[in-house]
This record gives sequence, structure tokens and C-alpha cells, in this order.
Amino acid sequence: MRRAYVMHAKLALQQMFAYRAGFFLGLLGNFFFLLSMFYLWHVLLKNPRFTHALGWDWSQMKAYLLIGFVTGALVSTFTDYTMANRIRTGDVALDLVRPVDYQKARFSEAIGIALFELCTAILVCAIVVAVFGGMQPPTLQAGLLFTVSLLLVVPLKFGIIYMSGLLCFWTTNYLGVSWSRQAIVNIMSGALVPIVLFPVWLQGLANVLPFQAVVWTPARIYLGTIHGTEAAMWLAIQAAWGAGLWILARLMWKVAVRKLVIQGG
Amino acid sequence: MAAASRIGRPIVLYMRCLAVQIKAVLEYQADFWILMMASVLMNLVGFVFLWTIFTKIPDVNGWTFWQVVVIYSLVFVAEGVGSLFFEGTWNLAFLVNRGELDFMLLRPVSPISQVMSCAIGINGLGNLLLGGTLIGLSLSHLQIHWTLGRVALALLLLASAIATKIGLNLATNASAFWVQTPFSGFAFSMHQLGDLARYPITIYASAVQALITVAVPFAFVSFFPAAAVFSKGSWRLAGVELPLRWLGLATPLVAIYCCWMGVFLFRRGLRRYESAGN
Repeated sequence: MRRAYVMHAKLALQQMFAYRAGFFLGLLGNFFFLLSMFYLWHVLLKNPRFTHALGWDWSQMKAYLLIGFVTGALVSTFTDYTMANRIRTGDVALDLVRPVDYQKARFSEAIGIALFELCTAILVCAIVVAVFGGMQPPTLQAGLLFTVSLLLVVPLKFGIIYMSGLLCFWTTNYLGVSWSRQAIVNIMSGALVPIVLFPVWLQGLANVLPFQAVVWTPARIYLGTIHGTEAAMWLAIQAAWGAGLWILARLMWKVAVRKLVIQGG
Repeated sequence: MAAASRIGRPIVLYMRCLAVQIKAVLEYQADFWILMMASVLMNLVGFVFLWTIFTKIPDVNGWTFWQVVVIYSLVFVAEGVGSLFFEGTWNLAFLVNRGELDFMLLRPVSPISQVMSCAIGINGLGNLLLGGTLIGLSLSHLQIHWTLGRVALALLLLASAIATKIGLNLATNASAFWVQTPFSGFAFSMHQLGDLARYPITIYASAVQALITVAVPFAFVSFFPAAAVFSKGSWRLAGVELPLRWLGLATPLVAIYCCWMGVFLFRRGLRRYESAGN
């Protein structure tokens, strides 16, 4: 049984190679976004009020933005669009009769793709660091915890993206769902603005939602602004969100399939 | 009479095509609201972002909060017009890939206008409503001495800025004739390059500024027209001092150039088109 899921991951990875042109163009788009953020924050951080409010300077902000870029690239390709398409066209009926668990199969594919996404995103980071220079490496402990946190982003983001894809059982238009999700994740994860700069009420809201664990948690661990037990606590919260969304997605799937009507043949 | 119908008929036909698309969209009311919500959310997130930044500082490179909101919203409004009236441009890759462009070539109407009107992005309505509101709000906060001339100039620049974006959309999407994938990845990444023009472009390195001013002039969608209306001073690029105001006034010329480029590339591409064959 496990071999079936490994195959799903492998096939998804192969598919990535086949469609690499599209992937790299998508990555280029994300890179332009990174570029605008880089220059904007470079200008902003010349103002001491920002360095004071953030608790870090430009060299650390570079790391922050790059972490946002890497976590943004993870689980961002194909998974949801393929799902949405298959649900819309009714091809999902074929997935239903297969002797593999639908959610686990999609997760396996997402992991296969994530390998590719991670490698390319890190390569882009290396180039950016080479061009912009001067980035501090984390301490050993922070580095290890950060790696764990980065890996935990995969199930977390999968949960968010998988559930937004499932919404296609209720609506035929995935574009709007996808845009809304991107907007919410962008602001509430801290990818646009570090959460500490939010007004207090918005900080409170961001901290009880799962999205902060996509950027804010791994970035703070990397930069060492949270460490020791505090870091462990936020890692546990991140893991709990990953598991919680997994269970929530299962429930959502159960309701969705009952709603499914396949038309024609 | 004959001249009027020569200009009028294509526009009437174009509107008819769009009207059909609107009917199709309204069949699925949930979709309509989801797209509207999506565009409002995206715009709102951008606004919250700027607002969060400007609670800490009075200006970015001499541009105040409401001035930056105008730049930001201009990109959004131009995108909105593109979605609402010219969304089909983004379907070109799919039409070429599937060979569906064949149908359009057989009809006695310009293929460009058929492609552009073959879809509608109702989210554009959300862009226009919220983007328009934000621009209005900004202008009420900015102390601009409005004369009749300046109002006329602002309207001309607004129309030119939008036309620049539409032209660039067509030009980048025409790449579909060369790169035959069903999804216009290149055009989309260029669209994201255009998002760099959401902020005063003086924050960027000279090479980046040159890229979005000369090579792919997205800066004329927002930054330069806004600079002209706000009567901004000079702009330094690679050590050369240039008057921002005059560059802003060149927006109509840039718009003509971009639209011409779009049509030119589309026609060039069409010559290569060989259909997909069934």
C-alpha cells in the first residue's frame, strides 16, 4: 500500500519535470514579487522606527523575505488546480473508484512536487544572497529548529490548499477561491508585513489563525527572536495546525463527496 | 453615415459579445460573488499593507500615503478594466493550443477583437469599484488645486494608463503564438513584473527602473501619470536628471506605442499560426 503513495509522489515529481517551463515562469513571477519587497523594505529599514519596531535590521530582513519566498513556493504548484479541474470536469469520479485514499494520494503528490519546489527556491535564494550579500546565518540550534519548522510548513500549506481545492464541490469557479486564499495567506502569514507591525487587534487575530505558522513562525525561529521553550511552543502550535487541518479536511471531504453529482458520461 | 457605421459597428459587435459573456457569468451567481469577493479582498490586503507601513513613516522617497495609494490603485483599476472588457486576451494561449482560434478566423470580424471579447472577468467590477473609491478617497485627502485643465489632463492620463496596460497584456499574451502551451505563463509572469509599479519606482535599482520604464513600460500604468498629476519634481536614473512631470505627460504616446505593439505582435504571431489539427 505504501508503495502506491510513493509512486504518486514520484509521478508528480516527473510531471514537474515535464511541465518545468510553466513552473519556472511561475517562479519568475514570484521572484518579481520578492524583488519589489526587497527594494521596498530596503528603503523602509533606513528609518530607525522600523528597525526598532521589528527588532531586526536590513540584513535580517533579507532573511525574513527569503523565508517568505521559500515557504511561498512550497506546495504552490498544480495540487489545487489539478484537483479543482478534476472536480469540475467530473474526472474526480475516477479518483473515487481507485483503491487509494484520496487525501493521502494528493498529499503524496504534493510532497513529490515540494522536493522540486524546495530545491529551486533555495537555488534562487542562493543567487539573491550572492547579489545582495550580507546575510547572517542562524545559530546551530536555531538552524535545526528552523529546518523542522520549514518541513512542518508542507503539511500545513497542504491543508490550506487542499481545502480550498475541495471548495470546488460547491462552486464551479476556482479562480476566485484561489485569489481569496492567496490574499488572506499573504497578509495573515506575515509574508507582506511582519506581524509585529500590525495593530494590536490584527496581531491577535493573526496569532489565533493557522496562517501565521506559514511564514511568521519559521522566520522568527531562524532570526532567533523566539528560542528555547518559546520556539518549541510555536513549533508545537505549527504541528498542531498541520494535524488539525488534516482532520478538518477529512470531514470536509466526507460532506463534499455526498454532494457530488457527476453529469453525463 | 457610412463612416459612423464603420467605426460604430465593431464597437456594437464587441459589446454584444461581452453581453453574452455577462449572461453566462450571471448563470452562476455564486461564482459572481466569489470573484467579486476575491478582488475586493486582494485590494483590501494591499491597502492594509500600505496603511501598516505608513503608520510608522510619513513618506516613502517623498511620496505620501495617499499618493502611494493612488499609484497602487491605478494598477488595480487598469487591471480591472482589462478583466472586465478585455479578459479574452488571457485566453489566447488556450485558443491557440486547442486550435479553437480557427473559428474566429472564419468570421468576418477582426480576430483581435473576437479574442479579446471571448471572456469576461467579472472580478474587474470589484477592482473598479474599490480601486475607484480608493482613488477618490485619496484625491479628497490630497490638496490638489483642481483647474479645468488639470481635470482634463488627469482623465487623459487615466485613459492612457489603462490603454498602456491593455496593450502590454495583448503584446505579452501574443507570445502564445510562439510558445504553444495552454497557459500563458510568460504573460502572467510579466503581469507580476507590472506589480512592481505599485510603488514609487524610485525605490528600485536603476536597472529595475529602466526595465519597467523602457523595456516593458509598466511604470506608465501608475507611477508616471500620477507624478504628472501631482506635479512631482525630477527623477534621477543612472545619474541623469529627468523631469518627472514631462515624462508623465508622455503617457498617451506610450499607450499608443504599447497598443500598436500588441496589435503588431498579434498579427505577426497569427502568420505563424498553423492550427492544432484534429
